[in-house]
Amino acid sequence: MNDKILKIKQVALEAIREAKDREALRDVENEYFSRKAGVLTEMMKSIKDLSVEEKKKVGQLANETKQEIEKAIVEKNYELSEEDWANSLAVEKIDLTAPVLPHAERGHLHPVSIVQKELEEFFSSMGFIIADGPELESDYFNFSSLNIPADHPARDSQDTFYIKNHPDWVMRTHTSSLQVRSMQKYGVPLRVIMPGKCYRNEATDARHEHTFYQLEGLVINEAITMAHMKGVLEAVAKHLYGPETQVRLRPKFYPFVEPGVNGEVTCFLCDGAGCKVCKNTGWMEIFGAGMIHQSVLKEGGIDPEKYQGFAFGFGLTRLVMLKYGIEDARILQSGDLRFIKQF
Amino acid sequence: MKLSFNWLKQYVNLPDSVSALEVAEKLKMATVEVEEIDRQDALLDNVVIGKVLKVEKHPEADKLKLCEVDIKNEKLQIVCGGSNVREGMLVALAKVGAKVKWHGQEDLLELKPTAIRGVESFGMICSASEIGLDTFFPAKEQKEIIDLTGRISEKQVGKPLADALELNDVIFDIDNKSLSHRPDLWGHYGMAREVAVLFGKSLKEYGAVKIKEPKKDFFGLKVEVKDKKLCPRYMAAVLRGVKVEESPNWLKAKLISAGFRPINNIVDITNYVLLDLGQPMHAFDMEQLAGNKEQLAKIIVRRAESGEMIKLLDENVIELVSEDLIIADAEKPLALAGVMGGEHSGITEKTTTIIFESANFNASSIRKSSTRHGLRTDSSARFEKSLDPNWCEIALNKAVELAHKFCATAELADKISDISDFTLAVGPIVMQKNIFEKKLGEKIPEKEITKILTGLGFKVSAQSDKWAVEIPTWRATKDVSGAEDLIEEVARIWGYEQIASAMPEFGITAPEKNKLSALEHDLRDIFAGSFSFDEVYNYSFVSPSQIERLGDKGEYTELDNPLSKEKPYLRRSLLPNMMENAVKNIEFFDTVRIFEIGKVFWPDMAGARVDSNGSELLPRQDTYLSALYCEKKDEAPFSAVRRSVERMGEVLNLDFKINALSHVAPWMHPTRAGEIICDGIFVGVIYEVNPFIAKKFGLDCRVSFLEINLETLVEIGEKAKKATYRKVPDFPSVVRDLAFVVDGDITHAQVEECLKSIDPLVESVELFDVYIGDAVSEGEKSMAYRLTLSRPDKTLSSSEVDAVLIKAGSALKKKFGAEVRR
Repeated sequence: MNDKILKIKQVALEAIREAKDREALRDVENEYFSRKAGVLTEMMKSIKDLSVEEKKKVGQLANETKQEIEKAIVEKNYELSEEDWANSLAVEKIDLTAPVLPHAERGHLHPVSIVQKELEEFFSSMGFIIADGPELESDYFNFSSLNIPADHPARDSQDTFYIKNHPDWVMRTHTSSLQVRSMQKYGVPLRVIMPGKCYRNEATDARHEHTFYQLEGLVINEAITMAHMKGVLEAVAKHLYGPETQVRLRPKFYPFVEPGVNGEVTCFLCDGAGCKVCKNTGWMEIFGAGMIHQSVLKEGGIDPEKYQGFAFGFGLTRLVMLKYGIEDARILQSGDLRFIKQF
Repeated sequence: MKLSFNWLKQYVNLPDSVSALEVAEKLKMATVEVEEIDRQDALLDNVVIGKVLKVEKHPEADKLKLCEVDIKNEKLQIVCGGSNVREGMLVALAKVGAKVKWHGQEDLLELKPTAIRGVESFGMICSASEIGLDTFFPAKEQKEIIDLTGRISEKQVGKPLADALELNDVIFDIDNKSLSHRPDLWGHYGMAREVAVLFGKSLKEYGAVKIKEPKKDFFGLKVEVKDKKLCPRYMAAVLRGVKVEESPNWLKAKLISAGFRPINNIVDITNYVLLDLGQPMHAFDMEQLAGNKEQLAKIIVRRAESGEMIKLLDENVIELVSEDLIIADAEKPLALAGVMGGEHSGITEKTTTIIFESANFNASSIRKSSTRHGLRTDSSARFEKSLDPNWCEIALNKAVELAHKFCATAELADKISDISDFTLAVGPIVMQKNIFEKKLGEKIPEKEITKILTGLGFKVSAQSDKWAVEIPTWRATKDVSGAEDLIEEVARIWGYEQIASAMPEFGITAPEKNKLSALEHDLRDIFAGSFSFDEVYNYSFVSPSQIERLGDKGEYTELDNPLSKEKPYLRRSLLPNMMENAVKNIEFFDTVRIFEIGKVFWPDMAGARVDSNGSELLPRQDTYLSALYCEKKDEAPFSAVRRSVERMGEVLNLDFKINALSHVAPWMHPTRAGEIICDGIFVGVIYEVNPFIAKKFGLDCRVSFLEINLETLVEIGEKAKKATYRKVPDFPSVVRDLAFVVDGDITHAQVEECLKSIDPLVESVELFDVYIGDAVSEGEKSMAYRLTLSRPDKTLSSSEVDAVLIKAGSALKKKFGAEVRR
């Protein structure tokens, strides 16, 4: 009897192993476990007819064999179903290179917004306040508080839009109009930047816009020196154009600073070797800066004997044009989405 | 301003090793902007003096000639188109290898042997523009070639042109704007002072010979200055026996090098002094003065009478106003003071008696006159910088000296007139010695400081820890007045590159947050990031026709001097320019989704203060966010913009409510315009643009628009509800849907309010479907709401839920006549 059981087991396991698919396996399972005529069912039934002693001898082996075969079927079944899954998933292949349709287009920020935000974050990280103020400004804040009296020749270089019936109102010609406002509002010590829209009454062409954007900054404390001004300008230049960038200062007259300088940075296009953009000088004029004039501090309610500081400014519009190689300033305010969608 | 390098060297002994380039570089780093550096002989390599031996007709071209040109060792065949070429003429001949400006083009062309209409040519006979000599040989007509006959001797044939004409100067082109604050730099002498200091050399004395005055007046010219405030000094010298003729070559060459056209010896002298010292002068023909014959001539410096006319040297007639300062004789204006002389008393070939005027005028008066009459002259450009009145005398000495030199018969007829009333604030400025280090953050040796200041003409005396610095008169008119000015003088010459950079030290404090700017950035992210809106920037100006198309009756701020008459007003809303954006872009895109953040201007409301103390206020200028949406086929674009408002509310944690607008503006769709309310406060409007108005702008599709006042929103945002934590409920909530048909005019807001208030078990009410169509009667709509019910303390029983639904059903029926569908 034992031999017979072992033989069944051998054949059954062999059949299970050989089963090609789940159907074949089900056939094997039926062959052995079918209630009516399963080989194992029959065998178990036949054990009932054996003597008690025989039953003891054979019963255990029969049970073990049955369990072993059952386990083999379960395992084979699992193996086969995994193959099945693999086959059916293979059919579910998709074109991974195709975009999702319909295309969900993202919106685009104006390049000036992009550059401005980036700079605001940079200055904020250095503890600067971000200030803003009126674009239609008084003559006082735009000019006279900045040491530019009515008939000062410096007004020549800033063609100004005036407001009808209000001879003392102007469209601000620079963000410097916020210098005295910021001093009055925040007091000292002061670190502040003032980005914004400015206006000049000049004919527009590729390089000139009557409406443009600037970013102005002030640093005031008890012992702020020109060396600090140089340090901050260098930090900004390196932030904008990389760690190798150098800054050089040249005298430049602005009525609201003394000394006043022009901050030039090594041309980021040619690394200072000289190219068309930097007019072969290797340097690009980026900043206007200087030590804040005593009279401006006074207008701001700050004691010039105790405090000193520097102001600096640059054209955001110009920075954007340089950054992206935009050759015509007028496109920036054209509202042309063929332009905006590039950013 | 053009600056001659040779002229500068007249006053500073620079070693030959110092090149013009180095001088320009140092000036650039310490003094002024040098825009261009031009060698006079830049285009004269391989250009020699040639003599035209033969001129024949070109066989193939009427306008060309075939020339044989002698250049001493060679005879060249040249094809020439010059209108004035003739046999025996001395010409500028560019040989093969020369680089010339072909027909005035910027790019240089290297000459090669070539065939012109089949005839070989071995070079070119040049016109002035082709070799950059326009200022030396102004051409009367386009095809004229340079005629050197008579200018140089035939012995020079074959010699390089640059040598023969002594064209070895280098000209710096200085950006005038870069010296607008420096009255002393508008002549070569002042600039030479800078160069001397920069190279550690000494500056030569200006050296004008003092005038020897006659014992007696011959004419007895009287000078009266009526307004000494506008004319702090007036000097006049009368010379008779003058012969007006061409200036000597050296003077002409100097004027040309500085970009001036030689006219005659007298006018040239005044121009020379202007270029040399920086003091403008004028010369009158004395015989043209009223009373001259009777020896009663007068010069009167006075304000013009309103309506007086004068014909100026440029032949324009201008009408004077009472603010103009003029030079007049007893009867009529002779000159617009400091700006331009009159034609009547100008120097002519017949002039024999002249008056040299050397005066000082009030800077702002000159500036105003020159601006008023649109006359920016070399003279006014200098006077408006506030010149040193002491220069009048030096300049007059120089002019008389040169007049004597050029014209042996010229003699002073009268004593020199000199009427003056001026004081200069020459200091001394007393300052702590350590102020340099305190301001610059860098220690400059005391010796250097004194050396620099002394070199620039300041007188420095030390008093233990202080310096007393006296300002030279030519810097004392307004340019230098305090210690800061001296710091700049020293620092720029010492060199900004010598200041080591450092970072300022500040106490650690978080910067005050700018909430408006943060909100702007958040909104940009929402609109561009979540809703695919593109950001536009527009001008702040709008046109009368835009306003008219909108039908806007609001008050607009107007520019006094708009760039174009077209857009003279400041926008009250971002709408008009964004409508134009939409018109432009709908040509290229099916959908236009744009937003803009910017200020609008309301003259009828008060804004920021005009100055520090006064009570006057500027117009209100709030920052707005506006969004515009249109799509060619979308007949109801409102929802796209409304969705962005909903999302904005979610992100900003603000509860936006939109209600029908009670006062609909003419440019809004009358039944599709809503106000946006947040926390009970009006923050903006959302609407479809009235299709008729859209058509007027040129848009055929429907447009929806959103305007939100960010200043108001920032204030509300302060109070925005913060996300709050509640314990996750222990008992499940129950969700039930309610659908019913109501009259089409019943709004969601009404239904929502009703449902929310029927029972405390109602946790939320959400509209999930609205249907208008065939399945409901006309004028009615079907609405479907999802109610979420919950109890914190136990699981809801079905009877509790049913009771709420029955309440809801009867409330809807009672209020709106709605029949709930079961």
